[in-house]
Amino acid sequence: MQDEENLVRRAQQRDQKAFAQLYERYFDKIYRYVVLRIGNKTEAEDVTQQVFLNALQSISSFRWKGVPFSAWLFRIAHNQVVDYLRKKTRQATESLDESLVISKSDPQLVVEQRLDIEQLMLATKQLTKAQQEVIALRFVSELSTAQVAKVMGKSEGAVKALQHSAIVALRKALSVG
Amino acid sequence: MKKSREFNDILDECLERLLVKGGTIEECLASYPEQAVELEPLLQAAVAARKASVIQPRPEFRAKARYQFHSALQAMEPKKSRPFFGWQRRWVTAVTIVLVLLLAGGGTVAAASSSMPDGTLYPVKLATEQVWLALTPSSLGKAKVLTKLADRRVTEIIYMANEGNAQQIDVITQRLDKHLVMLVGLTSALKAPQVLAPSEGAEGGRDVFGGANSQAELRIMIARYAINHPAALRNALKTAPESAKPALRRAIAVSVAGYEEALMALD
Repeated sequence: MQDEENLVRRAQQRDQKAFAQLYERYFDKIYRYVVLRIGNKTEAEDVTQQVFLNALQSISSFRWKGVPFSAWLFRIAHNQVVDYLRKKTRQATESLDESLVISKSDPQLVVEQRLDIEQLMLATKQLTKAQQEVIALRFVSELSTAQVAKVMGKSEGAVKALQHSAIVALRKALSVG
Repeated sequence: MKKSREFNDILDECLERLLVKGGTIEECLASYPEQAVELEPLLQAAVAARKASVIQPRPEFRAKARYQFHSALQAMEPKKSRPFFGWQRRWVTAVTIVLVLLLAGGGTVAAASSSMPDGTLYPVKLATEQVWLALTPSSLGKAKVLTKLADRRVTEIIYMANEGNAQQIDVITQRLDKHLVMLVGLTSALKAPQVLAPSEGAEGGRDVFGGANSQAELRIMIARYAINHPAALRNALKTAPESAKPALRRAIAVSVAGYEEALMALD
């Protein structure tokens, strides 16, 4: 955390190396969050890029007052996703592109994982927006409950309750699907 | 109410063990036998949700996004604590260089413009270029200057390849890369007027809204170099000494990627 605080302070002074390190640290996590929320790879790529450009432009406004940098960054991603979903006129039909990259080299395993992920993405669409958010942040981007609470502006207790209801709903959607 | 809060805490603890600490579902159930029946299906669903964490960005997207992010980073100037004096200092530096160059004589400057990296006037050439860039007010103008500077760097790389000087090729390639990264940043800004720095003022506005022909000229210039520069470097590769070839290949890669990005940013 100390290391991250130092990196953020340097990035706020326009230290390019520090910002590049933060970018590498969070790029995959933000991308995964955006893909799951949007369900379309091409659009997710544009949104992810915009998240980091927005962060670059507004990093000087970030204040280290109990809010971790990760929560601030995911908050930008959340706003970007909400903005995208608001503007979007119709739901993307290509729920999961075939070209979605899976981090395994075994072709059999890749096919199985792709089916699992496709099923998961279809199932999450049946959840409420808040439930989708908690699933994406907690299980796909691997944030802690405390971090999710900061991103969503809720107490940890509220996040735990939401997490419970989200898993119950997800289980139901997965068993139906 | 209290019971459900307790269960939420137990579920969260098990998830933490499962997701972060590498524990298993069975271990969690063994820790909470009374809640095991309710916990098990939820933990299985959480494990299913976790499968999406293997999704990764496409390598091409990762490379493109990284390049554009670094271009945006490069385009941002270091933060200045005293903007007025910072601005003043930049102009003082530019004026000082101009004075030195004038004192050195117009002939020296003219001779320096064609000097090569192993020549004595080469530092004068680089200093003149800095002034040229600093005194060009608009983004479009700067982009054109950078394109011309990239052309100079390619000529120098070919010259140093013939000399077999791999180290110098790498140094000049870094300069070429810097020019192209700045060019991508500026062309992105030309395409998206809202990201122009406020300090660009009316000059930036004219480029974006009133300089369609100039922008078209810039595009033609970049498109021409995007073909000619890698071709000229590949040509040099055929006759270059073996020791210079790896450095030359790096220069080719930089020129291909740089122009491609600049054209994409303009389209």
